[in-house]
Amino acid sequence: MATADQLVQFVVSGLTTGSIYALIALGFCIIHNATGIVNFTQVDFVSLGGLMMYTFFISLGLPLALAFILAVAAVTLAGALVERLAIRPARSRAIIILIFITIGVSILMRGAFKIIWGKNQMALPYFSSESPLIVFGAAVLPQSLWILFITVAVVVVLHFFFNRTRLGKAMRATSFNARAAALMGVNVNRMILLSFALSGALGAVAGIIIVPITTLSYEIGVMLGLKGFAAAVLGGYGNSVGAIVGGLLLGVLESVGAGTVSSTYKDVIAFAILLAVLFVKPSGLLGYGDKERV
Amino acid sequence: MPQAGQKDKSLFGLAALAAAIAAFPVLVPNPYYLNVANIIGLNTIIVVGLNLLIGYAGQISLGHAAFYGLGAYISGILTVTYNVPPWPALVIAACLTGVTALLIGIPTLRLQGHYLVMATLGFNLIVNIVIIQWDSVTGGPSGFPGIPSLSIGPWALDSDKKMYYLIWAAVFISIILALNLVRSRVGRGLRALHSSEIAASCQGVRTEWYKVKIFVLSAIYASVAGSLYASYLSFVSPKTFDIFCSVELVTMVIVGGMGNIWGVLFGTAFLTSLPNLLHAFDEYKDVFYGLILVVILIFLPQGVGGAIRDQWQARRAGKRPATTVDESKEESGQPLPPKPAIACGGAADLPATSTSTNTILRVDGITMRFGGLLALAQVSFDLPEGAVTALIGPNGSGKTTMINIISGIYRPQEGRISFENRAITGFRSYKIAKMGLTRTFQNVQIFEHMTVLENVTVGMHAGTRGEFCASMLHLPNITREEKEIEQQAWEALAFFNLEDRAHWPASGLSFGQQKRLEMARALVSHPKLVLLDEPVAGLNMSESREMARLIAKLRARGISVLIVEHDMNLVMGISDLVVVLNYGRKIAEGSPREVQRNEEVLSAYLGRVA
Repeated sequence: MATADQLVQFVVSGLTTGSIYALIALGFCIIHNATGIVNFTQVDFVSLGGLMMYTFFISLGLPLALAFILAVAAVTLAGALVERLAIRPARSRAIIILIFITIGVSILMRGAFKIIWGKNQMALPYFSSESPLIVFGAAVLPQSLWILFITVAVVVVLHFFFNRTRLGKAMRATSFNARAAALMGVNVNRMILLSFALSGALGAVAGIIIVPITTLSYEIGVMLGLKGFAAAVLGGYGNSVGAIVGGLLLGVLESVGAGTVSSTYKDVIAFAILLAVLFVKPSGLLGYGDKERV
Repeated sequence: MPQAGQKDKSLFGLAALAAAIAAFPVLVPNPYYLNVANIIGLNTIIVVGLNLLIGYAGQISLGHAAFYGLGAYISGILTVTYNVPPWPALVIAACLTGVTALLIGIPTLRLQGHYLVMATLGFNLIVNIVIIQWDSVTGGPSGFPGIPSLSIGPWALDSDKKMYYLIWAAVFISIILALNLVRSRVGRGLRALHSSEIAASCQGVRTEWYKVKIFVLSAIYASVAGSLYASYLSFVSPKTFDIFCSVELVTMVIVGGMGNIWGVLFGTAFLTSLPNLLHAFDEYKDVFYGLILVVILIFLPQGVGGAIRDQWQARRAGKRPATTVDESKEESGQPLPPKPAIACGGAADLPATSTSTNTILRVDGITMRFGGLLALAQVSFDLPEGAVTALIGPNGSGKTTMINIISGIYRPQEGRISFENRAITGFRSYKIAKMGLTRTFQNVQIFEHMTVLENVTVGMHAGTRGEFCASMLHLPNITREEKEIEQQAWEALAFFNLEDRAHWPASGLSFGQQKRLEMARALVSHPKLVLLDEPVAGLNMSESREMARLIAKLRARGISVLIVEHDMNLVMGISDLVVVLNYGRKIAEGSPREVQRNEEVLSAYLGRVA
């Protein structure tokens, strides 16, 4: 049985990875609200964030903060390009077609990453010191604190953006009713473009801050991204508060489960939780089921 | 008859396929291509099953590689570790996989929406991780070797060529079974629920079960392919059954054209051989694969098969594309010639008995709340048999809610509904429809992707029986039943003046015709009671008059009618009894004349001026 100290340790590391899942889940959520689709390139936004960081920080030797900003900007642009080049020209607005377009783009992107950055594992250093701090008897990496801090900052900025700015409100209006928003003068296509850019930025941040803890490869985002998807479902797909709660909860459950039950089946735990949620409360913890009107 | 035409076409297709299958190994003896052909065949079996799920029932699974893997691994482990002979192992694997699919399908498919995608995605990841980690049983990441080959009698199927014939025979059978299913009552039920689950269920289609059954069937297809794969290669490894494989399988369906069995065959062959074709591009292989996929999906969303079919149909129908409407042929401007009385109701020989004192439907103390909103409060009324009863009231008075409760879409918090003296409160729509109570919808709910005739045949679902197995095997009773269904459908079309539109896509009809189509669909199964929710809303004057005539004809055939309508001319002209609701309460009931004089009705609804 795990001791109390160990349990604290598991919770802290769970919150760390959970923050990553939350950021990725938010990305899934924003695009879902704008378009109704599941965007599988979210997974590759995470990888691309880490890879771009590697290029700017290691290969080009730029300062950390600048490399961070440039990497996020690059993936934001990539997100916008995905919308502009693959989603907008689509001849069909059927959800399933759009979803599989994103799957096609995801295959394409991963293929391109493999060519550009190679198949080898890479590493990024921690943002600051490597020596862990002791908090309540648990060893906490400074990078974990960076992750928690940056996640909180991102969530605060997003909250401000969606509730206080004209553009954010227009995006929300579009997600509630695109046609009505269009009639009120909102450029719906631009909102969709923006949602892809924003999701790109979120994925990039997640990728950049987690990679010093894990390793970096062209497909690092796949497993993280799928768990972010599971987190989004757990919280209630499309619900942004749910995405954050789902992400943190999934991270903690996974970490505690891996520590107390089985670390070999760590990845199984996350997806078993996903299945359990779908079987018991498919609308997620904070979601509400939608009823068809007759 | 379209059915016959379709049959000829697919017989031709099957013959061509059989010839191609037989000729391929002779023309291309190269074992490498034979191996590719075998993998294409195995994928085709999975994809034909998956196409039933995606193209007909409209449900997406990202877990079919896991079912493929379950088939392969269960077969492998049973034969090697437990010395079970290969054929029984294949059957056991198929059963276990089917049960697994059942367990996933029941909780996720009872709901509308795309929960199956998420559940199957999680399931596939779990299965894959378990196969990799549980190495004492599965051999772990390095795979599971030494699986014996299948044999038929004394002949061991131990070469590419021998397996080729077995695999493609299996493909052939799986296509025939799928074609039979698609053309049956079950297939139409699936397509109907894809368009509108509520409407399908109100025609007697047990939608959740149909979705579960087709999901299980498609999982069994995948499992059988997996067992064949295991004994063909004698070795299985987890990589073959990961989530990317599932994605590829769905992609084959979409690229081929959802719901198009021949297109899907092409999609599978194309995408299975594409990595081999792209071999020359080496490291750029994935980029090209992704690019080709994206380009096809952007420009040919109906899939390659769908695009070819559309072209072909457009050419056959002259220059007019299949989905546009030729308004000039619209005859609703002129009065329609009286149609000969064709037995639409089974009770055609019954006298019109509006004075009958029997009660066909009793609504007793129904209360319905939506959150804090009280939509209906203690509403009770009786519908006399063989009469036209109107339910009227201002907007928001709870009329449509009442119809939804009677037809089983909503479950009331209080009260009872009994139909022919049997309590039906809380029954599901399909069950109510099967008892002889059907309906139409306020916002027309036709099955847009089906033809007019097909829409009406779905209406026969309630009165007929053919289920999955019988339909797939096309047993003689199915043939008989299909004949009956088609005959009834044509009669209903004639009754509602839609005969000449029979082969049109239902989405191409004018609004008035769509309303008549809904009525034809609701009445083809000879119901005892039909609920009409605003049958003339949105219709022009002559269309309304035509509708009134049709309703009067139903009454003359002894069919009881409950009508919700705002058009007072229609209501007062055709009703025997009028029930008035206001703010969820019944405020009056009586003959049209009585209701028109009722003070409360006048002030609440019709206004003082009247």
